[in-house]
Amino acid sequence: MAPTEDSYAKVSTEATTEFVNSFYPALQSNRASISTFYSTPPSTIVFNGNPVADGNAVQEIFVNQMPPTHYEVQSVDCQIINRQYPTVTVGRQIDPRKDISILVIVSGYVRFGDSRDLPQRGFSETFVLVPNPSSEGGGKGKRRKDWLIQTQNFRLVV
Amino acid sequence: MMKRGRASRGRATSTRSSTSDRGGIRKRSGAPPTKTDRDGDLAMGAGAGAIRGQRTRGGPGRPTPSGRTHALDRSINQIQKALSTSGAQANIRQGGRGGPSEQVAIRGWKQSKAASNRDGGVESLIAFLEKKLTPPDSKSGPRVKINKSRVEGDALIVSVRPESLERMLQLNGFSFAGAPLAVEKFDQASAPLLNSVPAQNGTTPSTADTKAKMTAILGKRYYQDSKLLDLSKLGTDPDLVAMGIFGTTSTESKFFPALMKVWELNFDNTTARREAVESVSLADNQLANITVVTTLSQTFPDLKNLDLSNNNFADAQALIGWRWKFRKLQFLDLTGNPFSADPTFKDSMLKWYPELKILNNTQVRTDEEIAAQKKTPIPVRAPHFHDEGQIAENFIRAFFTGYDGNRADILNGFYDTTSTFSLNVNTSAPRALQTEPAPWDPYLKKSRNLLKISHLPARMSRTYTGVEKIRELWTALPPTRHPDIVAHPEEWLIECFPIPGLPDMTGQSSTGVGGFLIMVHGKFEEDNSGKVETRSFDRTFILGPGNGVGGIRVISDVLCLRAYGGNEAWQLEPQPAAAPPAAVPAAAPAANPAAPVGYGLPAPGKTDAQVQQEQLVMQLSTKTMMTLQYSELALSGNSWNMEAALKNFQELKTQGQLPPEAFLPGATA
Repeated sequence: MAPTEDSYAKVSTEATTEFVNSFYPALQSNRASISTFYSTPPSTIVFNGNPVADGNAVQEIFVNQMPPTHYEVQSVDCQIINRQYPTVTVGRQIDPRKDISILVIVSGYVRFGDSRDLPQRGFSETFVLVPNPSSEGGGKGKRRKDWLIQTQNFRLVV
Repeated sequence: MMKRGRASRGRATSTRSSTSDRGGIRKRSGAPPTKTDRDGDLAMGAGAGAIRGQRTRGGPGRPTPSGRTHALDRSINQIQKALSTSGAQANIRQGGRGGPSEQVAIRGWKQSKAASNRDGGVESLIAFLEKKLTPPDSKSGPRVKINKSRVEGDALIVSVRPESLERMLQLNGFSFAGAPLAVEKFDQASAPLLNSVPAQNGTTPSTADTKAKMTAILGKRYYQDSKLLDLSKLGTDPDLVAMGIFGTTSTESKFFPALMKVWELNFDNTTARREAVESVSLADNQLANITVVTTLSQTFPDLKNLDLSNNNFADAQALIGWRWKFRKLQFLDLTGNPFSADPTFKDSMLKWYPELKILNNTQVRTDEEIAAQKKTPIPVRAPHFHDEGQIAENFIRAFFTGYDGNRADILNGFYDTTSTFSLNVNTSAPRALQTEPAPWDPYLKKSRNLLKISHLPARMSRTYTGVEKIRELWTALPPTRHPDIVAHPEEWLIECFPIPGLPDMTGQSSTGVGGFLIMVHGKFEEDNSGKVETRSFDRTFILGPGNGVGGIRVISDVLCLRAYGGNEAWQLEPQPAAAPPAAVPAAAPAANPAAPVGYGLPAPGKTDAQVQQEQLVMQLSTKTMMTLQYSELALSGNSWNMEAALKNFQELKTQGQLPPEAFLPGATA
């Protein structure tokens, strides 16, 4: 039986809020985990017009080049892109309600640097989330992520 | 350079702000009151083009012909509003619950030991009052809080809940830090509004008359050629003295906001207002803090030069209300203020004003330093625009023209039964300076901000799927005007790249089809019952193959609306030999100049596997800047595994085994 509209809406919006609530804190204070948010290989990752190869490269940039960064997410929306995303699972059956790709839109501000006095820069960020094909966890004792970043585009807009 | 007046350098001691007849903008000499009978116009000669002085020609007190009376009434209403609400500008602590409250004036604390505190003792006085108001025996009751207070001259005016009033009044005569307090109920009527202040000739001028006088004063002090508004030595201005502005603390605190309101009313639009003044002098006004002049930063947010010399600012606290304001300030003069001698002075001002170059007539920053600090950790680059066969470009051009002109056409042309639209409003987004955020009423009930809309039925009803539902919503949304993409490329930031895994309408592909992800950032104008509002937006589309115009369809369309935030954020950072910014799709550099039209896109006779391979090739090419041929070689040699191909590429590159022709023209190997 095909999943109901309700269950699609529930799964996609909950996946989105959970992703937003874990990804931005990781950029701030758990940078060593950044790469675990990305699918391999990802489709396209772009920051301010700079293409980035993959999740490892994103993590490297945040660990080595970024000052302490404070993100404030102010608005979030999502839509289901594909209700039959071609997930190639390894060693497990995927719940049909979760075999979807999700477009996620985030609007907020970011402050680069420690001081609260630094300016708040408005950003707009677009993600495509896809199911995590693997049944493996994200490392020792870490909870397995249901959704991974397939595509990401970050832009400062204010 | 700014015009300034330095005639009277001699200043009184720093105690002047501690008595009731001191502080703020104050008369200095006993200039005889002169009865002014000026015309209401801003007298600026030929340069009055931008100024709406004509509106009051003939004297604002008289009825004006040709139907201008209404506009005049309206502006008078605004002044009255400004006058009666401007007292709030003086609040130093605000907030707390609404509801009825009583105002109480506390005096005598300026003679206490606490008066030497950084804040003049206000904080500790409030703490003292809160403690005394909380009954000592009430263990269960909540601690009484004073949430609203302001300083007027020697009085601290606090708002308390009616039930605390009696206890508060009993504090009269209590000793606070060595000084007896005088506590009495603060009667609003005893704090007359500016428009009811008896002038020194005994008459009570009307608001229109007050406006006319203020307009005349502004006209006299505005220098169009140098874009200077000289508000120095206000205390000795015979016209102001005649108006009785400095009679009481209350009128004095309301005068400046009203003056700013009058200034603003003389302009038809914000742009003209913003461009009219680059420099303001508030020199020689014996200001101990900016409380009474704080609205300056709202009226002139783009100010470049500010002369505050020869006042009484003792420390950063005295100017705290202007921290982070005046983001374009380049020149600041605080000579002749005790604060200038403070060891933290220079650092604080550099921190507060990111473009400050000259402080107290000394260069404190170079242009290069200002440019360098604008850099973000992730450099701002030209848009990542990877179109194929101008598919995305043509869509964007058609979309925004159509969305402004005929939304139904756009829907019929590009949307189908499964196209989805939703919008979300970021009501608290950072915004450009001096933009008054337009109300969000037309959108809020449709906004699907998941942070605010948490119930599933609401989340579902705010998703619009199919042409009919989207049409219904779009018809209800206000009409828009987006800037022309070709004529105003700087207003737009458009990015686009291919994405895989989209639903296949034909149902033939089990692995999904390829399409485009398009992200557009810009602004639009909206007519809101006669008033034109400017808003910023971020709009993301997903295009896939379909039966619409050009063989495409919109799969997803998400619109995020926010207050106008300008376009500075995506202007390229200055770089040595910077390439010209390319914000228009047509001018954007093609990432794969060699990519033939339709490459990476589904086409008749092309297998899904082929499309996917082409997309992988383009991705690798984008990442490595290798040509399509070499990218294809790298992928096919690594079983079409992107990760392996990238690794292989890195190895070969490190070993220097890749020939120059492996890279795209212009790429730095």
